[in-house]
Amino acid sequence: MKSNKLNFVALAFCSALFFTACTSDDNVTVDPIAMATCSDGVMNGNETGVDCGGSCEACEVPMMGADFSGTYAQADHMGRPGINTVLSFDLEGQASVKDAHNVTIPSEMQLAFQAGFEARLEQYHDVYASLLGLNPEDVNYVPNILGDILNGPDKDGATDNPVSATVLTSVLADDVLEVAPDVATTYFNGGAGAPAFEGAVGLTGRTPQDDVIDVSLILLFGGATGDRFSGQDTNNDGVADLPRLTSDGVALTADISTTFPYLGAPE
Amino acid sequence: MKRLKLHVTLIVLGIVGVILIAADHIDAPSSMNTTADITDYYAFEPSVGSNNTVFAVDLQTNVLPDLAYGTFDENVLTEINIDTDGDLVEDLVIQAIPRDGRMYFFGPVAPSQSGLNSEVLINSPLGDVEISSTTAITQTTADGVKLFAGPRQDAFFFDFFQFNAVIGGMAPGGFKVAAEATDTFDGANTMSIVVELPNAMLGATTATNVLGIPVYKTWVTTNIKQ
Repeated sequence: MKSNKLNFVALAFCSALFFTACTSDDNVTVDPIAMATCSDGVMNGNETGVDCGGSCEACEVPMMGADFSGTYAQADHMGRPGINTVLSFDLEGQASVKDAHNVTIPSEMQLAFQAGFEARLEQYHDVYASLLGLNPEDVNYVPNILGDILNGPDKDGATDNPVSATVLTSVLADDVLEVAPDVATTYFNGGAGAPAFEGAVGLTGRTPQDDVIDVSLILLFGGATGDRFSGQDTNNDGVADLPRLTSDGVALTADISTTFPYLGAPE
Repeated sequence: MKRLKLHVTLIVLGIVGVILIAADHIDAPSSMNTTADITDYYAFEPSVGSNNTVFAVDLQTNVLPDLAYGTFDENVLTEINIDTDGDLVEDLVIQAIPRDGRMYFFGPVAPSQSGLNSEVLINSPLGDVEISSTTAITQTTADGVKLFAGPRQDAFFFDFFQFNAVIGGMAPGGFKVAAEATDTFDGANTMSIVVELPNAMLGATTATNVLGIPVYKTWVTTNIKQ
């Protein structure tokens, strides 16, 4: 990473101060002869425009007189998928929390929204308790599979699952999408599954293929095994006794590509 | 429109619900059904071992009838925010804004100010690309940055109708099994902005995820000209 940092600093330095031959690519060898043509008023060498591009200064974007002036005020925000939709909730007659979430900077989200998210998480469980004819106080969020993954594969039984409702909603309240520059992208993959989740990886970005709905459902309703509410037939009468809440049952249907721009042509 | 109204009413009243995940489609009263509604956001490594990162932002949707869809709004500035030290304040931004059939990109560069108000960083042009119609028109700059803007299939997938049944109290069994479930977003389109750029242009990061892996912490915003 050190070279990246240096490279970035060099790039910023070049761009900001010199407007001369700069490149962000370490592998490009700057040819002093080509450099010498960067001010001769013709497109030559490896230039992509007159005295710009290639080994020369990047070509200016043709603005065509476009007007970019003015101040732009934030209207919508998105980090992880579904955060505002799922965990913010509005009450009639009160200012919209969902609107507020879209105009709150991430560094202030924890204080503004974590408590509300935690309340909402319990509320979802209360709803299903009622549908199941159970006492809402008896059906609550329980620590999820992330806890086992964070605790590692050594199950000594003495380490409590750390992912309480407070911990989970604290993580989610910072509504940003993390992407790792040096690791393959996986939104979440539970590996070999409960109990040890060997090979589990995640939180390194989001691709169009990632089933973010099912992951979210598992983390909210799956408990420590990931399948707490998954349509189980608990009394073996051939009818599901628990709701199916850990998967919506659908997979990717849109066309995607392995090459830029990755998303399929419109239908 | 009828279905949308039902959906909105349920959200606003906070009536029973399992979970309402629609990525970010129609997520709040003020932004829904506007040209500035962010519908989805992806950030990923394009292939294993690549030194590039891809940011893909979807705006607008036609998943339900009568929604704002189909044209990038020249009064809407889309901004990808990148935190490289873990304080949840953007250290770099990449901006995209349309003018006269082209999408102009700026950055990645430190913004003139962090927070809720932005100005177009006209001194840091990244490149521009003709806005596509059906066939993708892409642009690759001298720095190896790839740019795209135009309509694309909405890659989000979710059985939204069953979800509505669940939160409407009509599905105590929860979601359907795979053989019976339907992806509501199958056939829907969105307006996509995609940028792929070398990680060297973003520099190193000292931020980490909960597993200790170095990450950029990123988010996207839309911003309306005042």
